[in-house]
Amino acid sequence: MARTNPRTSSFSRNLSSAPSSQSPGLKCGPNGTVVVSSGIPDLDKILGGGFPLGSLVMVMEDAEAPHHMLLLRNFMSQGLVHNQPLLYASPSKDPRGFLGTLPSPASSKDDKSRDREPEQEKGLRIAWQYKKYFGENQNNFDGNRDCSHQYCNDFDLRKPLERQFLSGQHVDCVSIQDSPNLDTIRDRCATFLNKLSRNDGSITSAGRIAIQSFCAPQCKYSNMEWDMLSFIRFLKSMIQSANAIAVLTFPPSLLSPSFSKRLQHMADTLLSVRAIPDEDKDMAKLLTGYQDMVGLLNVHKVARINTQVPLILEATTFSIKLQKHRFLVLECLNQAPVDGSSGTSYSKSSSCSGSSKTGTLDF
Amino acid sequence: MAESICRTLRNGRLEGEHAAALTIKDTIASPFGFDVFNHVLSQLSSFILAGKSQSRGVVVVAFTRSPSFYVDLLKRRGIDVDASKKWIRILDCYTDPVGWKDMLIECGSLSQEASTTARLCKDVRDLDKMCSSIVELGNGLIGQVKGHFSVAIDSVSVMLRHASMTSIADLLNNLRGHDQVSSIFWLLHSELHEVRVTAVLEYMSSMVASLEPLNCSANGQRSELERVSLLGPKGKFHVRLKRRNGRVRVMYEEFYLEHSGINFTSLSSEDGLVYQGLVPKVQFNLQLSEKERDDRAKVVLPFEHQGIGKPIQIYDGRKSLTESVNEATAVSTETLQTAGDSSNGEIIYFRDSDDEMPDSDEDPDDDLDI
Repeated sequence: MARTNPRTSSFSRNLSSAPSSQSPGLKCGPNGTVVVSSGIPDLDKILGGGFPLGSLVMVMEDAEAPHHMLLLRNFMSQGLVHNQPLLYASPSKDPRGFLGTLPSPASSKDDKSRDREPEQEKGLRIAWQYKKYFGENQNNFDGNRDCSHQYCNDFDLRKPLERQFLSGQHVDCVSIQDSPNLDTIRDRCATFLNKLSRNDGSITSAGRIAIQSFCAPQCKYSNMEWDMLSFIRFLKSMIQSANAIAVLTFPPSLLSPSFSKRLQHMADTLLSVRAIPDEDKDMAKLLTGYQDMVGLLNVHKVARINTQVPLILEATTFSIKLQKHRFLVLECLNQAPVDGSSGTSYSKSSSCSGSSKTGTLDF
Repeated sequence: MAESICRTLRNGRLEGEHAAALTIKDTIASPFGFDVFNHVLSQLSSFILAGKSQSRGVVVVAFTRSPSFYVDLLKRRGIDVDASKKWIRILDCYTDPVGWKDMLIECGSLSQEASTTARLCKDVRDLDKMCSSIVELGNGLIGQVKGHFSVAIDSVSVMLRHASMTSIADLLNNLRGHDQVSSIFWLLHSELHEVRVTAVLEYMSSMVASLEPLNCSANGQRSELERVSLLGPKGKFHVRLKRRNGRVRVMYEEFYLEHSGINFTSLSSEDGLVYQGLVPKVQFNLQLSEKERDDRAKVVLPFEHQGIGKPIQIYDGRKSLTESVNEATAVSTETLQTAGDSSNGEIIYFRDSDDEMPDSDEDPDDDLDI
């Protein structure tokens, strides 16, 4: 009696604007939203499916590490693989050059290493009282394993994206370095989003906006804090009525604390990346897997559209690892076992242990 | 460590990356940043002359000292300055930064001096022109061949007197992104500026070297005598190096000043860095060793044998039922026998609780089926 749609309430939404199966880049998310993938499978799982359409995602950079670029690269590549229009703005003189560093989806033989994980889980023995009433536990994240039609691809950071994806007319780049104020980027965003405005019909495609290092010091408007804030308000209001997602990264250390807080409040989904010290013995003792970690990702806020219920995550800090130097993986932090802890709660088991048939079961 | 930053500057940039950038930061408590700057400059110059570095020349943008000072400095350090035209150029922003001498020369009160190793910059407020002058000087060093040069900026603090932070950030970013610049370093007196300025410059650099006084605030109070000795030329040298993979290498050293220059030694007492704020409450490790995995596989879980056919025994938190049944029969046979004897005083004890039916509503563990 396996169910395909896990229901959380007795009401079911009339999903007339549900994305058809022809658009693999879109999926139904919780609470009647449509989500797009972030390009990182682990991040999609953490956020409950992906980034909801019409939301603004902000990533707080760390001045000492370039991890926000990893997130941006995966996000942009995922959009290009799904043929979604993309607008990229950056404070460098030649933003087009960055497109050459976008990763390509991993080929299927590399996927096998990730396949092993769900199989192991099926072999997990669960002693559950009501197991006899339910069938096999359903797994929502499979689909067809075809690379181009997969909702979220595993990106190989060492393989550059094929030219065919970059040459479409729907890829637009803006340099925000030389403009004296935010008008250029505001106009470009407006024209981009006007093409994607939401109407009652079904959603065929979604657009992605990626703005990198929004208040970088070399931009002439970087002192104009109120102007930057009003640009973000403008972007947020336009995005809410369009089938698009915007991901914006900014370095909070370069803003005054009050403005940094104001910008953070504007975000629907707020993430931050942090650098970790190199060859730190204390940290190596405290965390397992320290050798493979390159940084930390914190989830501060998750977008909740159409609902009042906040998403409470099991963990908000994840370690960023590069598997085989190629695949971006996010993992929960595991603390290394500490000596001499938690011995007392197990000491009153003497009355229970006599009846167990095998030795090691202690309550 | 000072050696590693000099080595990083020497190695320069990789293809497609920005140039290596170093910020040397000092404070009033430890005002020896200029000595560190000179040390780095002379090290880099010796690398250039030995041909070991990626850059073939260095352009010094001098704000706080005259060009002749640098020439003398390098001579004192034993670096061959006679061939200096081939590997060093100095942009002189010290002699006449805002062009006043020009005006005085026009009035006839000063005579013009010409300088051969340095080019005079008459307007430090025009940063675009300064950038192009630096690039021109660098190109003059390299010549027609494709190569790299390094840039050393005497003091960004002085630049900030004349120009805005944004334009300086623009200049530094352009220099860093320029194909022919292999490394760039600058000095900053952090207490002269707002925190934001320091944050911006640290953001733009790949290495930050800061000079701190020897006693940390954690040590609390010190006697007057010790404080006086701190004014002597010693301090702590703290380097944060951003690696390509996104990790930050943090290094500590002690430095002391001598007549000939500055020397670095490793720190005598290790300051353990505890990153307590960085690591949140984490979950425990759930990995198992091989032996633990085997043991776990052997355990029969509670509801697994439900369909096997043995009668299901519900555990009620006391001795197991079979045992207690056996015991009860044993006891009862014993009592029967002893009742038969009945000559000795016996205490016949029947546990009251054995008569009770196990009530599964009281204790959820009662449902456990072991």
